[in-house]
Amino acid sequence: MSSPIKRRRDGRYVIRLDANARVVLANLAAQLPGALDARDPMVRRLFPPAYTSDDQTAAEQDYRELVDTALTNHHLRSLETLVSTAEADSLTEEEFLAWLDAVGSLRLVLGTRLDVHEDMDAPDPQDPQAAEYGLFVFLGELQYLMVELLAEDLPDEGRPEGDL
Amino acid sequence: MRLPTRRRRSEETALPSDVMPPETVPVGDIETIVDQDTTEDRPWLVIVWNDPINLMSFVTFVLQKLFGYSKEKATALMLDIHHKGRAVVSSGTRERAELDVYRLHEHGLWATMEQSG
Repeated sequence: MSSPIKRRRDGRYVIRLDANARVVLANLAAQLPGALDARDPMVRRLFPPAYTSDDQTAAEQDYRELVDTALTNHHLRSLETLVSTAEADSLTEEEFLAWLDAVGSLRLVLGTRLDVHEDMDAPDPQDPQAAEYGLFVFLGELQYLMVELLAEDLPDEGRPEGDL
Repeated sequence: MRLPTRRRRSEETALPSDVMPPETVPVGDIETIVDQDTTEDRPWLVIVWNDPINLMSFVTFVLQKLFGYSKEKATALMLDIHHKGRAVVSSGTRERAELDVYRLHEHGLWATMEQSG
């Protein structure tokens, strides 16, 4: 069975998702920016520390001052792109990468809220967290397929000079 | 993206008027240097930590994409992260390490930096 995510010969990406899934994604992506702006504790996972030792608190403060705005704007742009292209038939590479970032951010936030840990069992259908857990799983499947496609283009041998 | 150059903390505080900033002190006047930081020579290590949310394939992908590592090396690093809890993914100057940490944070990985030695 072929992947629901493909790159066409013209370079555009196609994600086969039903209408419900698209609406759900767009709604999720539309909700997150509010929490990002307020620096809600729920999104703390998106702003991890760079320095963690006690003697580097000043360096960590500097780092936060340098990057928090840039990080916030980076995620905001990705989420906006997901919202505005949620119904699109196909995506440019830039839009596809924005989807990857947005889906990843949503997964991190949801996963943190659900206190996801490795080898955890799915909650009972009656559990109030079941719906959110279902979303988390859906986002993971989507991300998995997107990464699988993008990874095809990375050279197995890498690039000695570094960045791709 | 390129981070703006960090300013050293000593440049931000008012130094007493009889003390010169480090870079203008003549070589012979070592004792007047206020913020001589010989520990800046030791390389900084960038560490990625295991987290229960990120997909293994995603971590491998990010390591290949950001550092140009071969699939084999990126996979080995990812498995170290997964099984041992953390792995050093790059090292260099403080500025380079901060940039690497930032790029990893952009991708949602849990990365920190510490000085070696």
